[in-house]
Parts: sequence; C-alpha cells; structure tokens
Amino acid sequence: MRWLAGRTLQALLTFLVSVLLLFVLMRLTPGDPLARLEGDSQLSVEETAALRERFGLDQPLAAQLSAFLRGAARGDLGVSIGHYPEQVTSLVGARLPATLLLGGTVLLLNFTLGTWLGVLQARRRGSALDRWLSRLSLAGYAMPSFWLGMILISMVSVEWQLLPAAQMRDPLIAPDAPWATRWLDVARHLVLPAVTLAIVTIAGTMRYQRTAMLQALRQDYVRAARARGLTERRVIWGHAWRNALFPMLTLFGLWLPILVAGSVFVESIFNWPGLGALTAEAVATRDYPVLMGTAMLTSALVILGGLVTDVGYFLLDPRVREP
Amino acid sequence: MRRALLALALIALPVPPARGQQAIAGTAVIVVGQEPNVPVPTVGTGRANADAADLLFLRLARPGADLRTSGDRGFQPELARNWSRRDSLTLAFELDPRARWHDGTPVTARDVVFTFGRARDARVDAQKALLLRYVAEVRAEGARTVVVRFTRPYSEQLYDAVWHAPPLPAHLLDSIPPERLAASAFVQRPVGNGPYRWGRREAGRSLELSADPGFFLGRPGIGRIVVLLARDPEAQLNLLLDGTADILDNVTPASNVPRLASRPELRVVPVPTFTVGYLLFNQRAYGDRAAAHPILADADIRRALAMALDRDALVRATFGDFSTVAEGPVAQLHWIRDPGERAARYDRAAAGALLAARGWRDSDGDGVLDRNGQPLSLRLNYPAPSAPRAMIAQLVQEQLRGLGVRIELVRLDGPVWAERRGKGEFDLDFSSASMDPSPAGLVQSWSCAGRSGSNVAQYCNPQVDSLMERAITGHGDVRRLWREAIRAVNHDAPAVFVFAPANAMALHRRFTSTLIRPEGWWSGLWRWRIAPGQQLPRDAARPTS
Repeated sequence: MRWLAGRTLQALLTFLVSVLLLFVLMRLTPGDPLARLEGDSQLSVEETAALRERFGLDQPLAAQLSAFLRGAARGDLGVSIGHYPEQVTSLVGARLPATLLLGGTVLLLNFTLGTWLGVLQARRRGSALDRWLSRLSLAGYAMPSFWLGMILISMVSVEWQLLPAAQMRDPLIAPDAPWATRWLDVARHLVLPAVTLAIVTIAGTMRYQRTAMLQALRQDYVRAARARGLTERRVIWGHAWRNALFPMLTLFGLWLPILVAGSVFVESIFNWPGLGALTAEAVATRDYPVLMGTAMLTSALVILGGLVTDVGYFLLDPRVREP
Repeated sequence: MRRALLALALIALPVPPARGQQAIAGTAVIVVGQEPNVPVPTVGTGRANADAADLLFLRLARPGADLRTSGDRGFQPELARNWSRRDSLTLAFELDPRARWHDGTPVTARDVVFTFGRARDARVDAQKALLLRYVAEVRAEGARTVVVRFTRPYSEQLYDAVWHAPPLPAHLLDSIPPERLAASAFVQRPVGNGPYRWGRREAGRSLELSADPGFFLGRPGIGRIVVLLARDPEAQLNLLLDGTADILDNVTPASNVPRLASRPELRVVPVPTFTVGYLLFNQRAYGDRAAAHPILADADIRRALAMALDRDALVRATFGDFSTVAEGPVAQLHWIRDPGERAARYDRAAAGALLAARGWRDSDGDGVLDRNGQPLSLRLNYPAPSAPRAMIAQLVQEQLRGLGVRIELVRLDGPVWAERRGKGEFDLDFSSASMDPSPAGLVQSWSCAGRSGSNVAQYCNPQVDSLMERAITGHGDVRRLWREAIRAVNHDAPAVFVFAPANAMALHRRFTSTLIRPEGWWSGLWRWRIAPGQQLPRDAARPTS
C-alpha cells in the first residue's frame, strides 16, 4: 500500500512538473497568436492591445502562469483564442468522446487481433502463415497512415460508395432518431479511420506477442504441462500465453496515450472531430489555452499509462514485490 | 466468422432515414473550413461567422450588383424599406413593417439604435468602433424611422450606416451587459430576422439552420442549410465526392478542380473575391525601422524587380483559370478597379538595364549581381500553410535567379510569419489581404498614417495620402480620385501585386436560380431552388429542429 501511495505521489509530481514545463516552453516558442490576426485582419495597434489584454497576453510570464494555475485548480483552463469565446474545457470536452471512441476501438482491435495473431505466429513459427503475417504486418507498419487512409477513402467511399468518407455522424440524422439508427451510423463512420489506424499499429503488438510467446513456449513449465497430457489449447492459452502477457502490459501502458492523443493525420483526413485535429489547429494558430488543455490531457495519460503498467506488474508478478 | 461478416455487412448498409424527417423543401449541405461558432454580428469575427450571420441577420440595405460603396445610389433594401438624405450629415431610414424577429417580435428602430450603441463601443468591438468612427448619433423617430447623423460629410456614409452593424434584437439583449454577450445563451442560439432561423449546432462538427417560411422578402427555396466543418482540403473534397455535401465554396488546391468538374452531378464556377496577394518590399532595414533598407529603399530597384517577374505565368501555373493578375492593391471586385490599369509590365531586358543603371553588376561572375561588394540577395518570408504562396515563392525565386537576383526563401509557420511581418523582419513578404467592399480600407496598408499599424513595410507617399483622403471625403467622381491614388501607388512599386483570385466554387447541379453574391454568397442562398425531379433523398428530410 505504501508502495502504491508513493508511486501515485511520484506520478502527481511528474504531472505538475510537466504542466510547468509545457506552459513555459509554449510561451518560449516563436510565434504570436495575435500577430496572425494583425496580418490577416489589418487590426490597429489599439485593437491588438485590447485583444492582448483580453487573453492576458500583456501580463508577465509569471503572472500568466499564476493565473493559469489558479484557474486550472478550479477546473477552468481559460478561453480559446482561436475559438473565442468558447471555454477550453468545453472545447476539449466536446471532442474527447470522439477521440476516446476512435482510440478505444483502435486499442481494442490492436490488442485483441494483434495478440491473437502474434500467438498464432508463434505456434506456427517458420510456417508460410508466419512468414506472410510478418510481411503483411510490416507492410502495414511501413505504410504512412494518411496515405493508407486516402487509398481506403478513394476505393471504399468514393469508388464503391460503401462507407462514408468523412465525419463521425451523418449530420442529417436527427438527435432524437432511434438509438440503433444513430449507433449504426457512428459505426459506419468509424470503420475506415479505425481500420486505417489499426493496420498501421498492429504490427508492433504482433511482433511483441510473437517474441514473448516464443520465449514462453521454450520454458520448462510448458514442457511440463504438455507432459501432463493437457490439451494444446490449454497449454497455449492457460500456461504459455499468461506468462507471455507481461511485455504486452508494458506495451499497453505505452499505447494508452493514443486514447487521447489520437492521430492528427487520420483525424484530419477523415474529418474525425477529435482532439488530434483540435491540437493540430491549436499548434498552427498558437492557441495557447487549447494547447495547454490538450497537452495536459495527453501528459496525464502518459503518466497514467506508466502508473497502470507499474501497478499491473506489482499485482501480477511477485518478483516485483520483493524488496 | 459468419457472424462477423454479417455484422460487417450490416455496418456497410446505408442507414435508413430516421422517422420524423420528412421533407418540406430540400436540404443544402455546405462544407466549410472554418467553424461559424458565433454567427452573431458585432460578436463573432472572421469570414465563417459573417457568412452564417448573413443567413440569420439582415442589414438595413446592401450595395447593388456593382458593389459600389460610394454615394447613396444603387443600394438594395433589406430591413430598411427606403431611405432619404436630410442634409450632408444626416440619413433617415424607414424600416420595413413586415420585418420580424424569429420569435415573432417586429423589428423596430429601437433595435437599430441599440445595435449601433453596442457596435460603436470600443470595449465591445474595437474594429467596428473604428469603422463607425464618423457616426455621431443614431436615434429613433417613432418605431419605424431611424436617423443616422455623421460627424463630417463623406461619400460612404450610407455604406457605413447599413453595412457594419446589422441590427440585433434589443428586446432580447438589452438586459445582457456587453462584456457578457459573447458567453450568453443568445449567442448559443441566436434569434435573427433573416431567411433562416437557428436549428442546432454541434461544436466542432456542424450547424443546422431551417428556413423561415414567413420571411418577409420571400419564401426561401431550400428548407434547411447544413454546414459541415472540415478543415482538411482533402476531407472537404471527399465529402463532395462521396455525396455527403452539395457545396464547397473554394476548391483547393486548384489542381483538384478538374476532378470535381468531371463529376456529372457537380459543376464548378468561379466566384471573384476581394483578395489580393502581393510581394511586399520592406522600405526599412530588416528588423530596424530606424534605417532605410539598403537595397529596397530605392524605388528603381523595386520597379526592376517587379518588371522582372512574369506575373501571368506565376498566376496561371498556380491557380489555372481561377485567378487574374492583380493590377495594384485593389481586388477584382472593387468598384474602383481600373480595367485599363497595368502595374509593372513584364520586361526582363528593361529590368536588367534598370538594375545596371543603378550600379548592380555581376563583377565576380558568381551569377549574382553585386554593388560595392554587396550581393543583390533578399529574404522572402512566406507562410507555410498557404500552398499558393509557397508555390509562387518558388517560381519567383527561379525567375529572379535568371536576372542575377538571389532570393532566399524563408518558409515560416503562420504565427511566426505574422510576428516577423509585424516586426519588419523581412526583405520581401508574401502578403495577402482580404478586404471588404469599401476601398477605404486601403488607407490602413498604403498610407503614411498606416505605418503604426498594418503598413508594416513603412511605405509612405504624401501624394497618395492626399488622393485617398480626397477620395474618401469627396463627392462626385471619387472613382477617378481612387484610380489616381492606385496609379501613384503602382508607380512607387511598394509591392509586386501578384494575384487577385477567384474562388473555385463547386456545387450540385440540382440547384437552380443560384444567385451568388461575391461579397457574401450566403446572403443570396435563400433564393436558390431545387430543380423539380432532381431531388435527392436528403431533400425529402424535414428540418429536425
């Protein structure tokens, strides 16, 4: 219990340091968010000064940081510059479900299918199936996601008109439409972006799982299980696979931030209304408040991923608990 | 496996329309690149908000087909049924008694007075207050008459009175303090007086507006307008190609135009704009406004560089048929544009001779002209997000290389580019200005007074200032004065005016009566119709709100 409390405290401290660093580094990055408005809209000096005051950009860095931390403690991350007068929390909150849905689906596909295929490869090591799965997964890994997305859209959506090319929902379907209609609609829109991201990420999971499984299959306890006359299925999934799961736990911790970080390119191409697209836009316009909001969320997920992995090892592997 | 295949097949099936969506009069789905998150005049900023606001809110009147902003003639009535001039400082407007807010309340003079009060308050909108700085007083005379008095006589009084501050509903807003308006419930669900009323908005995704069947200027031809947000140009294109959307107001890059034009259900039309793209010469030293630029302060050098560029070729290679060469700082649509005016003509030999006359020669044989040991080398800043400007910048570099001028391309992230531009940290800057119908905005970029603001290159010619001032305050033939001012600017060559683009607008062929007002095409959308017998399934859908 003391270990868990210590580890959690460490994670909180890491988060706080990362927030401070993010804030300072963003302000040090060249590029003034209001200079862009001046350039495009031909604002006068007075108008720019008024805008600078509105967003607190006329204050010294320390005062800006202090105001930000006080607001963040109350759950207020400020007002977006690019989407004025919208609150950052409402902007992030509006896009989070879309990102969680896409990221969650990709994680699910990645770990269920990737794990199963990795085990399959290990069981049939050296076979034609193993070689072909390795080639295909590496081909997927080597493919840029935006390129694959464009190809899929061109074929599946534009040529064959099977699935929608973009968006998360058909805007013509009313919010009070039957639940099944809305669910099916979201599912249709989800297929292409999820498949695109899964194809380019699944190779890592398959390779990790294959290697871990091959090592496990060489262990004495597997040989012993077979000697005891257990079925091959039981040997594989009941004994070898459970021990080959530890590397996957590490991988899962590393992948967890994908839940919110999303993929900028895939979200853009498929016009998926998630945090990736919002972050890309905020970077391009130096929308500091929005950038801080999305960066803090990603940072929290990275730290949480590490914590989940550590706790997972702590619970599953007795060796970790030994002093 | 069979179950999985069945599930996949189910997902691939088109979703049937939900119950309760039967049509009254069609649907138009518009793809936009920027979100109309606050489509309320005086509150929202940017083109996207202004476009959506054009469907929700009317102005008192708008310029006629020639888009002339000077004088009192040619304007088309909207909320104001007619107007009269009482003297050189006073205009009186009579409101149309049929005009109603979408909650049924009549539009009155009180609404107009209230809106001007807010718009002229610099704390509410500094930009609007600046535009309305010559308005001395706005008062109501009864429920239907509004009197606007100005501080001085000038030719755009009527334009200023009708264009900048579309009336807002005083009965809903006068209890909301100005500083709270942007975050108020009204902004989340505005009540307007235009042809379309608010439907619903999904932040970051879409906006839906439904036709007001009782709209006093006529019944809208399309029952609902759905606005889809897609920032990525590829996604915008795909939404048209897969049939989700009907209208995209600017297909980018221009190389995608043939792909859309080849689709039998779509057509692509050019829509001229108020935009001008230009290579701005810094008249001051790089990052130092106290010193003259060692090369570009010389007007002959600037003229030589302008003459050395084949602007026709630059524009054709970048925009195809959807742009023209800019002949000065005015756009295609400005009523003061002189079709006969030509900024620097392409004459490479003359450009070389002019440079030689100013002492620039390739004395060391390195292919770059030099004078007193200083090479003719300049940095050209351009914003990375602008694909046309990136392409033209490379062509400019190539064309000037042949003349012995070295151009170092500095590709910058948007905010960094703008920051450097503001600080004067450039030799050449690839700028672009999107203006409104009034040419008065030219003062900000091309006058001596503008040097503290938008005139970042510090160009100053008192003769130009005088001509523009006379054009703004004068009466009668102010077009001639404006054209003289433009000619004087062109003679000074403070920039190479490169392109005056038209948008390549893609729209579905089932729309007829497609009035496209170039200063704001959404404002004419209510007159569009759907050709009988060409309805799509979505045209049978009833507005959902």
